Amino acid sequence: MSPAAEVPPDVLRATVSGRTLSAIVAEGAYPLAALYGAAYVFLDRCWVLLDRPSPAEVRVSLTYKTEPPEGALDALAGELAEELVSCAWRAGVAGETRSMIEQATSRAHSGADAGPSLDDLTRYEFGDDATADPLGLAMSWEEAHATAQGAAPAPEKKEGE
Amino acid sequence: MQLVQLRKHLSPTFAMPFRHRAVGGKVLVTGTEGNFALLSPEEFEAFARGAVEEGTPLYARLAERNFVRAEFDERRMVERLRARKRFLSWGPNLHIVVVTLRCNETCVYCHASRADMGATHTDMTREVADRTVDQIFATTSPDVTIEFQGGEPLVAFDGIKHIVERAREKNKAAGKRLEFTMVSNLSLMDDEKLAWLVENKVQICTSVDGPAHLHDQQRKLVGGSAHAQATRWIRRVNEAYAAMGLDPTLYHVEALLTTTRDALPRWKEIVDTYVELGCRALFLRPVDPFGFADKTAPRVEYPRREYLDFYRSAVDYMVQLNRGGTEILERFAAIFLTKILGGEDPNFLDVRSPCGAAIGQVAYNYDGKIFTCDEGRMLHEMGDDTFLVGEVAAAAEGEGSAEGAVRARYREIMGHETVRAMAIASNLDAQPDCVNCTYQPYCGVCPVHNHKTQGSIFGRMRESSLCAVHKGIQDYLFERIGSGDAGVLQVFQRWTTVRDRTHFLQTCAT
Ligand code: SF4
Ligand code: SF4
Repeated sequence: MSPAAEVPPDVLRATVSGRTLSAIVAEGAYPLAALYGAAYVFLDRCWVLLDRPSPAEVRVSLTYKTEPPEGALDALAGELAEELVSCAWRAGVAGETRSMIEQATSRAHSGADAGPSLDDLTRYEFGDDATADPLGLAMSWEEAHATAQGAAPAPEKKEGE
Repeated sequence: MQLVQLRKHLSPTFAMPFRHRAVGGKVLVTGTEGNFALLSPEEFEAFARGAVEEGTPLYARLAERNFVRAEFDERRMVERLRARKRFLSWGPNLHIVVVTLRCNETCVYCHASRADMGATHTDMTREVADRTVDQIFATTSPDVTIEFQGGEPLVAFDGIKHIVERAREKNKAAGKRLEFTMVSNLSLMDDEKLAWLVENKVQICTSVDGPAHLHDQQRKLVGGSAHAQATRWIRRVNEAYAAMGLDPTLYHVEALLTTTRDALPRWKEIVDTYVELGCRALFLRPVDPFGFADKTAPRVEYPRREYLDFYRSAVDYMVQLNRGGTEILERFAAIFLTKILGGEDPNFLDVRSPCGAAIGQVAYNYDGKIFTCDEGRMLHEMGDDTFLVGEVAAAAEGEGSAEGAVRARYREIMGHETVRAMAIASNLDAQPDCVNCTYQPYCGVCPVHNHKTQGSIFGRMRESSLCAVHKGIQDYLFERIGSGDAGVLQVFQRWTTVRDRTHFLQTCAT
């Protein structure tokens, strides 16, 4: 085992052995989603394993699927460090703004379609004839909205035969 | 610039959520609503530190694009998100009907698994056609496009006529915005059929693989040249539209390319062929792993980096032609640019989130079997029924009315476990790689492709050839946008302009 070059130890501690780079990070140093996101980036080149060598640490093991080019494992350590920091930073930004995004997203997706409410669903008579549609679930868009405005653009999908 | 070096100074409170990627010497930053900024490395560093001074041009640029938390414009985000996801409340508007599997051509990459001309049992019967039309009109979408596919649909021309007539009749009560399209190799076209198709406003779409030698090498027509037939009828159809006084820049045959290995070095010849035929659009589609293309892969396939080199050369050339006054656009580019520059979703069913499987398109096989999409049907022809979600309802099925049976079947299909799984699998907010990808606001994944190539509808985007294509194309587009060349931007802007072809609407007066 040799240490991978030039990655600050407060980011991760990396060692190289054979085709494998092992990177150890302190538990809680990065959100789990950042750890997964960073590890996922290597799926095309490496077999990826996450485990816990001790209760306070997480280890990311990246094993090259083929013989790695010269210096590739050291470069992998740098790349993993960069991805970890990037994912953690963006997770921090997302955490700070979560309520703003949630509010905007729910406003964007609600409103116009006037679908059945939870109360409507609670009152739904499941014993009804299968073809009845008391909640308007199978109601056409025209019936529901009684206007032709806001129509979908023609689908852009044409296939060669 | 390395984030690792900046790690102690990264600001979690300056920006709104974003993703970033190095593109052409700059850093591309994209946001939740599809907003983007191309920053120099120095600008990105200031952004990362949260050290952009108010009152500076950079601050104004970032704020104007809704990247600055202190200036966050919620109303703008709501409007943008709504515009981008408008399709969510519509339901399936594209209905692909396979009127026969028989075909008179043999193509090296045939995705449809065509049948020989003697296989008359693969013609759709009148009864199945009627049920199919009834099923189509159960859709909640106000727009209905019925697309005739095969095999070669002209082999079953009477079937097409029957469906068109029945659908128009049905639409008198339904009042949908109804359109018809036929995808044909055109070699069985004749004057009578053409007159009927034009009179009944059936749009015509065909395949052109480029210059004659390439097209004929890949598409075999016994006793003749497939290229000569296709190009002869493209011209005839276009002449017919012109004779009706329709604007030729809007009304013309749409042609599609399937990019094979032999096509890769011929990008210029291919573009020239399309221009010479009067086509205004060229869709540089890579070959898919469906149908015969799966078997002929050693001959037709190629690494996707080679495809991307081909793509760049071809589109560079098309941009150059546009700057010289020749209008021709590339469809993939137009789809992405409409989202990137136009802020709208063009509802291209294979590049949206979630994808159009059943909730945007439905495919009806000649035998009445229903699939989430044509690609799902293609896999069925290869012996895999994963994407089979039902069968057109029988007119007198069950206790209730015929109309009720059809609606019940529609509900069954829309709520089918496969359909729900595909909506989840193609939702980019839930795809492990896409969720962190800079191109997430503009992209789409294909569960059928994932299933076929990686054994799971979720797939692994890092190893997906489709992801490589989407990523490579968007890299190219942002590189060109970031080059600051006003001429390129002007061409790209023009490619985002969608003009409705209202003549083809069955409900509109002529
Ligand atoms: S498919 Fe690929 S390019 Fe598209 S969003 Fe997902 S990871 Fe990004
Ligand atoms: S599964 Fe693939 S082919 Fe089918 S609609 Fe979705 S993206 Fe399109």
